[in-house]
Amino acid sequence: MSKKTPLIELQTVSKSFGSNKVINHVDFELLPGEIHALVGENGAGKSTCLGMMYGLHQPDAGSISLSGKKTVIDNPAHAQNLGIGCVFQELSLAGGLSVAENIFAGHAPATFGIVDWKKLRRRAETLLGEFNLSIDVTAPVDKLPISTRQVVEIAKALSLNSRVILLDEPTSALTPDEVDALFTILRDLTRRGIGIIYVSHHMSEIFSIADRVTVLRDGRKISTHKTSETSENEVVTEMIGGHVPASVKHASDAIGDVFLEAEALSFPGVFEDISLTLRSGEIVGLAGLMGSRRSVIAKALAGLFTARDGVLKIKGAPVDLRSLSGAMKAGIGYVPEERKTDGLFLDHSVRDNLVAASLKKHTTHGIFSTASARQATQNAIERFSVKAASQDTNIRFLSGGNQQKIMLAKWLETEPDILIIDEPTKGVDVGAKFQIHDELRKKAADGMAVLVVSSDFPELATLTDRIIVVREGRLVGEIGAEMATDDSILNLAAGVEAAPQNTLHEVERSAIQ
Amino acid sequence: MSLQTLDKQDAPSLMSKVISACLHTREITLLLMILGIVVVMSFVTPYFLSASNFRAVAVGMTPTAIIVIGMAILLASGGFDLSVGSVMALSSTVVALLLLAGVPIPVAVVLGLVLGAVAGLANGILITVIGINPLVATLGTMSIARGIALVLTEGFSVSSLPPAFGYIGKASLFGIPLLVILTLSLIVLFDLAVRHTRFFRQIYFIGANEKAAMLSGIAVNRVRIIAYILTGTLAALAGVLLASRLMSGTPTAGNALELQVLAAAVIGGASLRGGEGTILGAFLGVVFVALINNAMTMLAVSIYWQMIVIGAVLVCAVALDMLVRRQSA
Ligand SMILES: Nc1ncnc2c1ncn2[C@@H]1O[C@H](COP(=O)(O)OP(=O)(O)OP(=O)(O)O)[C@@H](O)[C@H]1O
Ligand SMILES: [Mg+2]
Repeated sequence: MSKKTPLIELQTVSKSFGSNKVINHVDFELLPGEIHALVGENGAGKSTCLGMMYGLHQPDAGSISLSGKKTVIDNPAHAQNLGIGCVFQELSLAGGLSVAENIFAGHAPATFGIVDWKKLRRRAETLLGEFNLSIDVTAPVDKLPISTRQVVEIAKALSLNSRVILLDEPTSALTPDEVDALFTILRDLTRRGIGIIYVSHHMSEIFSIADRVTVLRDGRKISTHKTSETSENEVVTEMIGGHVPASVKHASDAIGDVFLEAEALSFPGVFEDISLTLRSGEIVGLAGLMGSRRSVIAKALAGLFTARDGVLKIKGAPVDLRSLSGAMKAGIGYVPEERKTDGLFLDHSVRDNLVAASLKKHTTHGIFSTASARQATQNAIERFSVKAASQDTNIRFLSGGNQQKIMLAKWLETEPDILIIDEPTKGVDVGAKFQIHDELRKKAADGMAVLVVSSDFPELATLTDRIIVVREGRLVGEIGAEMATDDSILNLAAGVEAAPQNTLHEVERSAIQ
Repeated sequence: MSLQTLDKQDAPSLMSKVISACLHTREITLLLMILGIVVVMSFVTPYFLSASNFRAVAVGMTPTAIIVIGMAILLASGGFDLSVGSVMALSSTVVALLLLAGVPIPVAVVLGLVLGAVAGLANGILITVIGINPLVATLGTMSIARGIALVLTEGFSVSSLPPAFGYIGKASLFGIPLLVILTLSLIVLFDLAVRHTRFFRQIYFIGANEKAAMLSGIAVNRVRIIAYILTGTLAALAGVLLASRLMSGTPTAGNALELQVLAAAVIGGASLRGGEGTILGAFLGVVFVALINNAMTMLAVSIYWQMIVIGAVLVCAVALDMLVRRQSA
């Protein structure tokens, strides 16, 4: 392997944002046909490294070589011309445009500059077909669920026929089944000599797909191992520079009154006959595959999507929630799935974002107390080990995982009776994930009712008391804590015919036990 | 708010499908409304349907219709240009002055167009490279261009132009004014280009999500600047044609034209949020507004009331659009 010239190589690169040194003398190489994982805690510098390889950031020191030749990558357009494709941590699709146009953004098949729509559609269908996804490629992307959009995003990077593909947490909205489909494609690509850099917080994914893994900590490279010669334990220890936190299976003991009750909620064509209860003190999971409508059901429970039929009761009384503010008055908190577009004020400080939903708490006699907000923010930063230059930093400049932690903390601040969370740990590193789980358990123990939607089935299996499974907008079953494994969830979510076929699940399960 | 896809809707009846298609396609809604005006007005006053009235309306709206092409493209890219009316006036006066100075007609016309392109380039650079908000930047160039036109002419119209220059403005082909034919050709050409060429499709990406467009390898600034140059050139073309039709360069022409153009484009389906709208829609918006104005003039409604009606139409069109969107969300 070592005789091959690397497709792309970072040679002792450094990068600072202002006075904040984010990347510190990092060496990294990607060989042809290799899948090289890049791991590290939130804010370790993974996305920044990819950004330098895609022409988004220029290194302050050091250089980048492509196939042995020193190259300055000016901007993303240049990177694409050099054969580098990238899937970003944050979705970057143009909402109103069709799936097909998005996949071929800016490089649609054309003769003399005139787009060949038929070819465009066919190619888009072929690409998505590899993911076993048959959707109408002429439909606008913003009508699709987030998980499907993520697949569109991946297809977009593949459409370029790149030699180097950068994937920054491409599976954060995907369930194990969909991840398997992606991995089959990635293995196929490596056989053609394409190199892939794979950033993920899911150790099981890394050990099932990557050939090598490089660990970053605080912007420094700690090590590079062959995955066959190391262990999850070693990698995680190197990542966090300490010992590995362990998660224990959860069982709430103080389950109390029914806080939220849905009776036959329906919206024809979207979901039907959704009946469920949430009790004080319990954490309930809501699981489903792509197209299961899990997110829209969560929105309906939070008052953000009004069902046509059925009744929603809070603490026994029927309510008609028409907006989030109505829901908040009724005691509901809702953490959205897409932090960038739905959850954060990107150009405001960490502190402003944290207290945005709980201004009342920091206001006495109509006067807002910055000191009190500052204190709350400091607490949250410590509790979730948020990495931020200061609480006055614009949240835009935090790494994805750290933004996620602030968004979750913001809703915990409102102290709701009922908390509905869509993907609580999206993009969060292993250590912080356990902190978030701990925090949710504490809140439940204090009497909060929590509903967690997650595509991360192992997470649901450890975190929740019971898991409600949906398929195509209908409830198909419930799994108690004792029976919950990611396989049992997957089987129910996919219907009996889809048996697990990949070792991924074995690994993931052993990580739980 | 993003919602899950509604792919398994109960099969709606054909009728409701047709109605929803009409409501969702601004071009069709507008066409129906335009037909409505024509039908009602032809009952109210027979003169409305006469060839001479149509001719007058069609010729009168050519400047707006030409400029709306650029404005619709800018709006789709998430920008807009308030300087179009002033640039039109400036190019009409500059061309007239050049002609008076004895410059040959083709040269004067080309110089007039180049002037518009330069104004567009200036707008584009101010907005993209320097990063000034389009409202502020084009408000500035609007004032500057108008000022130059007034300074050059001391506020008077420039007339006594060579008779040959009036040819385009006056000629007809099969009874249809050349101006109208030219305008319609431009509309068709740009409508097709915006729908089907790779270059113009990039506009929609930029308008929908500028960051995403940049990450997709689209040269955002370059595309934006070209859109401003195009708009400036079209405004200048409108100015040259106006000068040819009136046989004079008028420094006060096109006052508040930018607002009419914006209103028409928005009525035609463009949005200040960017990412949407078509040239055909914007053109139908121009036709719609022109017909309403014409109808009111025929009904002897005072010009002041006409302003109120146009304002109400604009707000209603956008409100209706919002309602339809919310329904389908
Ligand atoms: N444009 C920017 N301006 C200022 N600071 C930035 C910018 N981009 C990133 N940073 C900082 O650089 C550090 C590394 O960020 P980066 O996004 O590379 O982390 P990451 O490893 O991808 O984390 P995550 O797992 O959360 O995505 C963070 O501390 C972040 O706050
Ligand atoms: Mg990142």
